[in-house]
Amino acid sequence: MKFWVTLENRDAEVEFQTHGDQVWLEFDGRRLQADFHRLPDGEVYSLIVNGRSHEVRVSPMTDRLEVTLRGSTFPVEVRNPLERILQSTTRAQTATRGETIAAPMPGLVVAVRVKAGDTVTAGQAVAVVEAMKMQNELTARHDGVVSDVLVAPGQSVSAGQPLFRLKPSPT
Amino acid sequence: MARIRRVLIANRGEIAVRVLRTLRELDIASIAVYSEPDRAALHVLLADEAYPIGPGPAAESYLNQTKILEVAREARADAIHPGYGFFAENAGFARACAEAGIVFIGPRPETIATLGDKLAAREVARAAGVPLVPGTPGPVASLDLARDAAKALGYPLMLKAAAGGGGKGLRIVRDDAELQTAWSLTRGEARSAFGDDQVYLERAIERPRHVEAQILADASGRVAFLGERECSVQRRHQKLLEETPSPGFTPDQRGASRTPRAASPPTSATSTPEPSSSSSTRTAAFYFLEVNTRLQVEHPVTEMVTRLDLVAEQIRIAEGDSLSFDAPPTPNGWSMEARVIAEDPLSGFIPSTGRIERLRLPSGPGVRNDAGIYRGYEIPVYYDSLLSKLVVWAPDRERARRRLARALDEFVLEGVHNNLAFHRWLVTHPEFAAGHLSTKFLDDHFKPTSLAPSADALDVAVVAAALHAREERSRVTLPVPPNGRAERSAWRWADRRRAGGGARR
Repeated sequence: MKFWVTLENRDAEVEFQTHGDQVWLEFDGRRLQADFHRLPDGEVYSLIVNGRSHEVRVSPMTDRLEVTLRGSTFPVEVRNPLERILQSTTRAQTATRGETIAAPMPGLVVAVRVKAGDTVTAGQAVAVVEAMKMQNELTARHDGVVSDVLVAPGQSVSAGQPLFRLKPSPT
Repeated sequence: MARIRRVLIANRGEIAVRVLRTLRELDIASIAVYSEPDRAALHVLLADEAYPIGPGPAAESYLNQTKILEVAREARADAIHPGYGFFAENAGFARACAEAGIVFIGPRPETIATLGDKLAAREVARAAGVPLVPGTPGPVASLDLARDAAKALGYPLMLKAAAGGGGKGLRIVRDDAELQTAWSLTRGEARSAFGDDQVYLERAIERPRHVEAQILADASGRVAFLGERECSVQRRHQKLLEETPSPGFTPDQRGASRTPRAASPPTSATSTPEPSSSSSTRTAAFYFLEVNTRLQVEHPVTEMVTRLDLVAEQIRIAEGDSLSFDAPPTPNGWSMEARVIAEDPLSGFIPSTGRIERLRLPSGPGVRNDAGIYRGYEIPVYYDSLLSKLVVWAPDRERARRRLARALDEFVLEGVHNNLAFHRWLVTHPEFAAGHLSTKFLDDHFKPTSLAPSADALDVAVVAAALHAREERSRVTLPVPPNGRAERSAWRWADRRRAGGGARR
């Protein structure tokens, strides 16, 4: 499993590997062993990285996490690779006004939430795609009207395959 | 004088808790008072009795003399301990206590009045042979006279309110133009803060150290000197860290600062006035600065090295007893105090309020916490932002410094901005470790980037966030139902707000 982590304008790709009970992270060209233990305090964890012990608090906020370490709080954004691809895809589409919502990775469409002619608002879910045994909601990045629905539930899709086309909302 | 059995504490926060602890140990009933927002404050929880005195603003509660005296009478208090701030140096309040037949635990009203007036205090010091910073002998009546005095004294100068204190009503002026600007500002400040706009001029010392001497005096006129306190680390004339003894204070200087004090007139010999002297690091000269006729915020460092309980001594003195010792105890070892304040060092130290979400106080050998907070406590907006005082003792300065650094590392305080990271920076700074202190320490050494997190800390934050995300995914991802229609999504795990946290288990 991989995550993109953004902290103070620095992007890092963190990849997880599990060996038995042990969790390894690959990050910035380093391989670290980590043990993450939630404390009764709720949002607080004991984190042991390569034997070094840290006490951290991770608080979910609306659009990011806040990590508190020795009294300093860092805003951190974590995205999975699908989200990252999706973001770049939608960014590319924004330029042409209108939007194509594509499958971020190979998967199975398990639900289609909109039909042609529907008006959608930014952030609205349009489909659910199952990938890597997890279900992921695909959302519209912009307001618009669904012009084409290119998939149906139960259909397998490949990465980058267009699923929906949206027109800009009439103003 | 009769024994004191019931004491009303006319204060709040950590100092009310501090006083209360001694009362408990002496088997004296403790009576707390509280404003509306302080209903759940620690001093109320710990006190034997507690009575409301009004709304949040201090002027309507902790500074409401009529109400406090009324509560004191109704609660049958024998005595009132004022703590520091509020009524601690208010001669009128001390007088009103006496008239109400209640013992004021502190100096006589006339002592408070004399020493609280900076100019009168200078006169007392001059008469006692204590060196004074060169300045005008009395208030300066006009800007023209101030200019003449400035010419004679030479810039830079301090323009000070005669009734000033706590860092209010003073300004440094470097030339005639600055004097002109400061003249009306300082007088205006003095008028609104102290109701007295008299000002005087004093030569500014460029890199002074702020050193205080703790004295205790009983009703018989016996005065004890309990060592000095180094209080130089300040911002905006407010102290951040204090220690005793003072590094770089030689035994000779200690002797010299003590001699004139022993000759102080009987007016100051009623309770616990604390002369502060200011001495320059370069010339090692010391000058009289002021006398604070009260228990100081930083009194615990003196307690740590003398093994005395200064509040207990104050109560003895108030009962008319002599001091608890024949000769003042020889100070033993070294003590430091870090003031833990709800403020943001990265935004100009502006005060912060909020709820204490997490709190774990350090402990272990030689560590004392004088805290006025607990987990879940909401810090009211109306009062001082001092949350807690972290005090350590060790046999020598270096060990005390390391112990303080260790205790600061243990300290967990979340929910409000605070200056713990600042203190960690301070006590590990080479100049601090070397004892090279002055009231300009922050100007000389502190930059907001001083508190920048290390690369290691950033790495740990990245790893923690990623691990948290991984945990969240494994927790919220639902097994795919047979109909293929899952309503909840792991996709948007980061969008779930704190309020939804309950669903995580």
